[in-house]
Amino acid sequence: MEKVITPVARPKTAEPWKQISFTNMVLLVLASVVPLGVALIAMLAGLQFELALLLVFLPVQLVVGALVGRRVSGKRGMSDAILQVLVIFFAASVFVLLVSVVWSVIQSGLSAMSWQFFSQNNVYISQSTSLEYGGVGHAIIGTLLLVTLSTIVTVPLGIATAVYLTETRGKTRSVVRTLIQALSGLPSVVAGLFIYAMFIASGITQYVGWAGSLSLIPLMLPTVARVAEESLLLVPQELRNGALALGAPAWRAFWLVTMPAAKSGLITAVLLGIARIIGETAPLVVTTFAANGTNLNPFNGAIATLPTYLYGFINSNFDTAVQRAWGAALVILILVAILFIAARVMTRSKKAKKKAGK
Amino acid sequence: MPSLIAEDVNVWFGQRHVLKDVNLVFPDKEVTALIGPSGCGKSTFIRTLNRMHELIPSAGLGGKVILDGQDIYEPGVDPVAVRLKVGMVFQKPNPFPTMSIKENVLSGLKLSNRRTADANGLVETSLRRASIWNEVKDRLNDPALSLSGGQQQRLCIARSLAMDPEILLMDEPCSALDPGSTRRIEETILELSEDMTIVIVTHNMQQAQRVSTRTAFFLAEDGNPGQVVEFGETEQVFNQPIDLRTNDYVNGHFG
Repeated sequence: MEKVITPVARPKTAEPWKQISFTNMVLLVLASVVPLGVALIAMLAGLQFELALLLVFLPVQLVVGALVGRRVSGKRGMSDAILQVLVIFFAASVFVLLVSVVWSVIQSGLSAMSWQFFSQNNVYISQSTSLEYGGVGHAIIGTLLLVTLSTIVTVPLGIATAVYLTETRGKTRSVVRTLIQALSGLPSVVAGLFIYAMFIASGITQYVGWAGSLSLIPLMLPTVARVAEESLLLVPQELRNGALALGAPAWRAFWLVTMPAAKSGLITAVLLGIARIIGETAPLVVTTFAANGTNLNPFNGAIATLPTYLYGFINSNFDTAVQRAWGAALVILILVAILFIAARVMTRSKKAKKKAGK
Repeated sequence: MPSLIAEDVNVWFGQRHVLKDVNLVFPDKEVTALIGPSGCGKSTFIRTLNRMHELIPSAGLGGKVILDGQDIYEPGVDPVAVRLKVGMVFQKPNPFPTMSIKENVLSGLKLSNRRTADANGLVETSLRRASIWNEVKDRLNDPALSLSGGQQQRLCIARSLAMDPEILLMDEPCSALDPGSTRRIEETILELSEDMTIVIVTHNMQQAQRVSTRTAFFLAEDGNPGQVVEFGETEQVFNQPIDLRTNDYVNGHFG
């Protein structure tokens, strides 16, 4: 005998844990409206916006939130409300800061954008030359060359460090880990001055591209090594054991099982490392200096990069020079954005593949 | 002489003595079950048989494990060569997530840098021996993680079988699986025992009785090192145990 079970439409009350009484609803609305109102009144009375936000809105919101929280769900509700107010307030402040940084770069840099800003170099351009002439083409090329050079050296080194830390039982692992952490606190100008003292002040070479690349390596290395280490640690031990139990030498087990499993994390490590150094200015000012012409050879002569270009124009009395500097900042921002989007796409495509498999 | 013998195996983790004087002889082409309560050292012991034990940082070992007449812990013996002869299936299915079903079966060859003239044939034989061929033959190129837990475990068995080991170690292979998958793996074990030696750790006493011809009962009392309390024909260990503690354990009085 066949039994028919008819489905019933989902009622509005299907989430009993979210039901809230009318009084509590009113209280919650009050808790979110009252502090705003008080702050507005304070501003109308002549208080500055920032002061009103910090000295009126935040304290009032804390007190009202705490009282309502206590009324709705007791003591726990009170601490919950206080923490929520603090977390949301400061998270929002950071978000506003971030957006305003990005926005001001876009706003100020946009006026310099044009095709020739990307394609031309800085030869015959003075601080007062109109924006219709010259551009950052030479600096884009220089940045890409130097970053590529640093990446070629740092990525194998950084991943090898991560492999040493996660896949071996080397006795000096804790020392290496500490040193890598210390290196990540190294001020970039110190890295630059070190290379300057070693190769340029000592007369071994003039200002040259490779010296800049060299000074970027200690800045990039800790980022690559640590992110790669994290991603290798995420690979379950069972996979390594499975590979070893099949009779694989350790290096083959790493190459064919562990590394592919950590692939997206390793790609992220490389991209974050690049993003870390692409905007570095100080070490480049003292090692590669600046150039107006396009230099395709990082092993011969001074070379321009976006950060040093920016540095050369930003402290000018001429509006056009300042606009050029903002333009260069926007170009750096675009390069970094491309990198981060690439990282997202590469890591997501793997998850999507997994999902499709399931 | 049987091809696998454990002689006076002792195990330490750091300074802690966890296994004392284990002497076991594993008859060729038979299934030997290792039973005992949690923490008695049976999983630790099985890992000494293919030198996976030494991968644990604080591990220490005494005694001999004799494989084909040679002590595998003698200096100069390559652990990789040992593991090629002694396959292992783990408690939790661990197919390689970045590989397809077919690639998983062939992964052992790739990992040990060997080649085969007939890859497709090897894939089919291995999957058939692990009795999973019919379920996966139409989707060999699907990711291994698209299989169910029970299928993943049988895929791992097939992966070990593709290396044609003399001995197969199984460390609680069914503890993460449902009864249906468990039954299928037990059938596979019985079929495999016709041409290879199998050592299986299990918590499930019915399972030990169903699949094994010999049983070793491990016990660690009150923080003492674990020992083999009784070793004999499965029939005898379960029905007429000599040691009182074995009797208590197989009848469910403790553990």
